[in-house]
Amino acid sequence: MTMSPTLDTSDPEDGTGTPGDSRARRGHGHPPTRRPKRRGGRTAYLYVLPALILVVGVVYLGIGYNGWVSTLDWNGIDPNPESVGFDNYVKIFSDSIFWDSLSHVAIFGVIVILVQMALGLAMALIFSGPIFGRNIYKIIVFVPVILSPAAVSIAFRQLLSPDGQVNEALRFIGLDVLTNAWIADPKTALIALAVINIWQWTGFSFILYQASVSQIDQNLYEAAQIDGAGTWRIIRSIVIPQLKGTHATLALTGVIGALKTFDIVFLVTGGGPGRSTEFLTTYIYKQAVQQFNSGYAAALAMVLLVLALTLTAFQMRAYRFGED
Amino acid sequence: MFGRVSLRQRLVYQVVATVLVIPFLFPLVAIVAISFSGQGPLANYTAVITQTPFFTFLLNSAVISAGTIALIYAVTMLAGFAFAKLKFTGRKLLFNAILVGLVLPSIALMVPMFIIVRQLGLFNNFLAVILPLSAVTVPLTLLLARNYLNGIPDEVIEAAKIDGATSFGTLVRIVIPLSRPITAVIIVWAFLQAWNEFFLPLLFLQDQNLQVLTQVPQFFTSTYGSDVPKIFAALVLVCLPIVITYLLLQKFFEKGLTAGAVK
Repeated sequence: MTMSPTLDTSDPEDGTGTPGDSRARRGHGHPPTRRPKRRGGRTAYLYVLPALILVVGVVYLGIGYNGWVSTLDWNGIDPNPESVGFDNYVKIFSDSIFWDSLSHVAIFGVIVILVQMALGLAMALIFSGPIFGRNIYKIIVFVPVILSPAAVSIAFRQLLSPDGQVNEALRFIGLDVLTNAWIADPKTALIALAVINIWQWTGFSFILYQASVSQIDQNLYEAAQIDGAGTWRIIRSIVIPQLKGTHATLALTGVIGALKTFDIVFLVTGGGPGRSTEFLTTYIYKQAVQQFNSGYAAALAMVLLVLALTLTAFQMRAYRFGED
Repeated sequence: MFGRVSLRQRLVYQVVATVLVIPFLFPLVAIVAISFSGQGPLANYTAVITQTPFFTFLLNSAVISAGTIALIYAVTMLAGFAFAKLKFTGRKLLFNAILVGLVLPSIALMVPMFIIVRQLGLFNNFLAVILPLSAVTVPLTLLLARNYLNGIPDEVIEAAKIDGATSFGTLVRIVIPLSRPITAVIIVWAFLQAWNEFFLPLLFLQDQNLQVLTQVPQFFTSTYGSDVPKIFAALVLVCLPIVITYLLLQKFFEKGLTAGAVK
């Protein structure tokens, strides 16, 4: 997945400027001056142009083209594709594989978001305590974030195999009952993917929580301690509410990330066994590349895109991003 | 945060922290351990380097990474500067239009990318990887850069203007030297995306001389049985440059990342 650590998309110029500024100047006898900077004029567009060309050229053109392809019955090669209107979309709604994929993504998303947030927060709090070797602990938790998902997938295919290192470790600590075929068992394959994702991405939640925990006003703790609050009480009543912004950021990036997840699913289980771990992304890939159903794949991609945009807009409103 | 701590509490912290970290450490240790098993570390690692086009792939990965980093950095800083420090009509609209890219699952663009690459004749051309990769990465780097550059006081920009600097001169001589933490973040992030990418090179660079490092492990996979220790030696070699870069830039990286992420 791609992570987006920040959601401060608000514009600092929107009314939240510095109202004290002009008044202070007036107080010194100067006329209220309008700031002369920021007259970008037309040159400003030149600065923005490369980014626009790149993003519009690839992303918007891609979406537009995709939208057109989604109305075709096309194998991706035939020079005369047949237009079928909205048939592909109608087909999606009665496609049980689509609904199964959607529920897999939802289950996977809920598990990884909750666990990563809980673990990340727990680590941020505990590592802020008196820990010997804190920096090494931090590096261990963060290194998985930077590894190639392709490499992680190949590694975990081996580690989670029936005679792999995870089962070996479970036997070693006497938990033989927990050994499993993991990715080869339809009952545990989705959980196994969630575990891999949690292993790779908890470091991200941890780093964000760590930064925001360090910004909580120390006076709040002292005041609470004077009032006789214990550690648990402080965490529940002060730390967790103070980290609202970080919870929201992580929930939002987690939802987007779950919808985008492709590499590890495709490379670890390939959507199997059977269809037990099919995700929307892997289904799109299979339809486009293996089944030559470009039109249907494009329609699925449009549904995925609309889903991602809707969930993002809905959450941004719910969390009131850009309003504080 | 928790006031004074006794020795017993110290011990509890240490134990809890260690228990939390072990599941994260275990796969890392296992990966390295497997890469040493079988015929032994020397034979495994030598095999990766000599039995695959390792250095060709390394060079290809390096070229693609350098191109991606350069493109992303240039595009991000130019646009980030304008969005943070210049005023123009449609600024907010254009910024949000680019941010939509944050939400986009790149797999949703696979069908059109395939067709566009074919139309432009970019198969087996590094640009077929660099351009899409940059396009899906720029929305995030731009958001981080814009937020960081907002923090540079306007007075600094004004002073440069009064001294007769053009806006481009201000960007190059004033803003960029003040942007080292965010520069580190953008470079590391772009490097990560380019170095770790698996599918774009697989799809668009089918000529074997143009393949990249993430393909190396496949050389030891076959239908007749895979050479697991050598696959893992390859994995370690693929990941090593990334890990080293992170360790070297760790301070900058975390500072910049959280500067953009936490208000």
